[in-house]
Amino acid sequence: MRKSFSGVWATFEYLDDICAAIQELRNKGYAKLTTHTPCPRHEIDDALGNPQSSIPYFTLAGGIVGFGLAVLVIIKMTLNWILPVSGKPVVSIPIMGPIAFELSVLIAIFFTIGGLFYLILRDTWRHTRPGSKKYKSYNRFMRDRFGLVVPCDLDQIEEVESIFKKYLAEEVIVEN
Amino acid sequence: MSQITYGSINDSVAESMLPPGRRWIIAFLFILSALSMGVFAFAVQLRHGLEWSGISHPINWGVYITNFVFWVGIGHAGTLISAVLYLVRAPFRNSIYRASEAMTVFAVMTAGLFPIIHLGRAWYAYWLFPYPNQRELWVNFKSPLIWDVFAVSTYMSVSIAFFILGLIPDLAAIRDESKGVKRFLYAIPSFGFKGTNHQWLHYMRGYLLFAAIATPLVFSVHSIVSWDFAMSGLPGWHSTIFAPYFVAGAIFSGCAMVLTIMIPLRKAFPGFSAIIKLKDLDGMAKMIIFTSLIVTYAYTVEFFIAYYSGAKFERALFWFRPFGEMKWYFWLMVFCNCLVPVSLWFKKVRSNIALLFIVSLLVNVGMWLERFNIVGTSLAHGFDPFAWGNYTFEWVEIWITIGSFGWFFMWFFIFVKIMPSIAIAEMKETLEPPLRNKNA
Repeated sequence: MRKSFSGVWATFEYLDDICAAIQELRNKGYAKLTTHTPCPRHEIDDALGNPQSSIPYFTLAGGIVGFGLAVLVIIKMTLNWILPVSGKPVVSIPIMGPIAFELSVLIAIFFTIGGLFYLILRDTWRHTRPGSKKYKSYNRFMRDRFGLVVPCDLDQIEEVESIFKKYLAEEVIVEN
Repeated sequence: MSQITYGSINDSVAESMLPPGRRWIIAFLFILSALSMGVFAFAVQLRHGLEWSGISHPINWGVYITNFVFWVGIGHAGTLISAVLYLVRAPFRNSIYRASEAMTVFAVMTAGLFPIIHLGRAWYAYWLFPYPNQRELWVNFKSPLIWDVFAVSTYMSVSIAFFILGLIPDLAAIRDESKGVKRFLYAIPSFGFKGTNHQWLHYMRGYLLFAAIATPLVFSVHSIVSWDFAMSGLPGWHSTIFAPYFVAGAIFSGCAMVLTIMIPLRKAFPGFSAIIKLKDLDGMAKMIIFTSLIVTYAYTVEFFIAYYSGAKFERALFWFRPFGEMKWYFWLMVFCNCLVPVSLWFKKVRSNIALLFIVSLLVNVGMWLERFNIVGTSLAHGFDPFAWGNYTFEWVEIWITIGSFGWFFMWFFIFVKIMPSIAIAEMKETLEPPLRNKNA
């Protein structure tokens, strides 16, 4: 069963404040941070150490599957019902081009969407977040506020709280 | 002008999604009546057959295939703006791309109807797809028409997926701005998006890949549509210039349709004037100038090659287009597509909203005529003089065409009321973030 959340979360009005708080927390060894931003910001990525997504592997796999599927479908169906056209080869490689391209794109897109959901769910599962009503109903993260969630033990709460206050967090909420 | 902030973008977009007013309802009823007439005309055609349309020997591809190519072309600009301009980080993209993407999805939905309408026996449309059947009879993969089925289906699927993916963070923003049932309804399609670093990380990477994949798709789809014509041996169709010519034409008409849609949208919602800036419309106008030049060049090259090739059938057709009995379609097309966009070279025209709107409408007309010229005049003046003919428009196809505009605008009107028509998160990305120390 998933662990219940123990830690501190805070909201910030300014981007530079939250970035500074993230850097200090990472320097002190807090690795499993979750941030909230109204839009993607490279400053946050930099502060978090520029993590990379493995989505491209899903896309590549999808492209290969789509290409293979197209070639197989065309060969199977063409040989199943021989339809000679103007003396051209029954199984012709150039005519596979458009359909192989389209199916590669289509399946690559499906794999990308699947990968996107899988990776987001996996990371969300790995990084515990507060279960309180206050956190769940806080509705300014997608508007104009930045949020930072730090899971920690009881003896670390005071330290995290002091870092948040040092960087002028708007609200600091302790949950355990 | 008021300062745009993260919060004000949310407010402007949420305001555009308030329950519709009287003007919206009247316009929507007008659109529905056009659609109803289109549906009625289609019912008449289903009952009596294609003889009720103008399609007849020798022009067996008439208004419906013209409409198909026209709407696929309109559908091009959305993905171009979303994907290609995203990759090259064009600054005028952000405020207009959401509505353009919606336009793409609805235009391709409209385009997809026309091959079915053109079939006559619409209930056999599924024969176009390779489905398992008792006789193991499959579609002909050597036919460009089958490539087109795959290309347009893929394009529609990818456009819808791209559109929905782009909407997720904005629907989450609207969810957080709403209360009660509305909040619940927006919570479902926002998939629990809360703007966490994990969500943004994978989302942005996935979005970039979508854009990278969709870019060649934009070029492939209209190239394949052009091969419907170019791979036949008919004078006026059998040309290697068709793929780039069609792609440029599609972008040209799509950009014009973006202006046709964005200008009234900007007027309808006062909050949007600060977001959809004049320079964004100016950027689109410059795209129109650029693509108009390519299209004009293509028209000229077609004539030159007809002369230079020495092929007498080709020469005869290219004499027939500007001087035959269908010449008015040609000259009107030249006026709308080659001459009218010249006015956009002047900044005064580009910065005048009313003139921009008129130019965009004329380009739309011109691009419809271009497709009709390609389809109609080529078939009207084939190899054998005894098979030459002309085209008569019938009321059924005219109403189906008007109905297709009703269908397209019906979806667009619904869209602006239930979805964020401005990309909230991407607009925020373009703003300077709130910083305590502005010099940091």
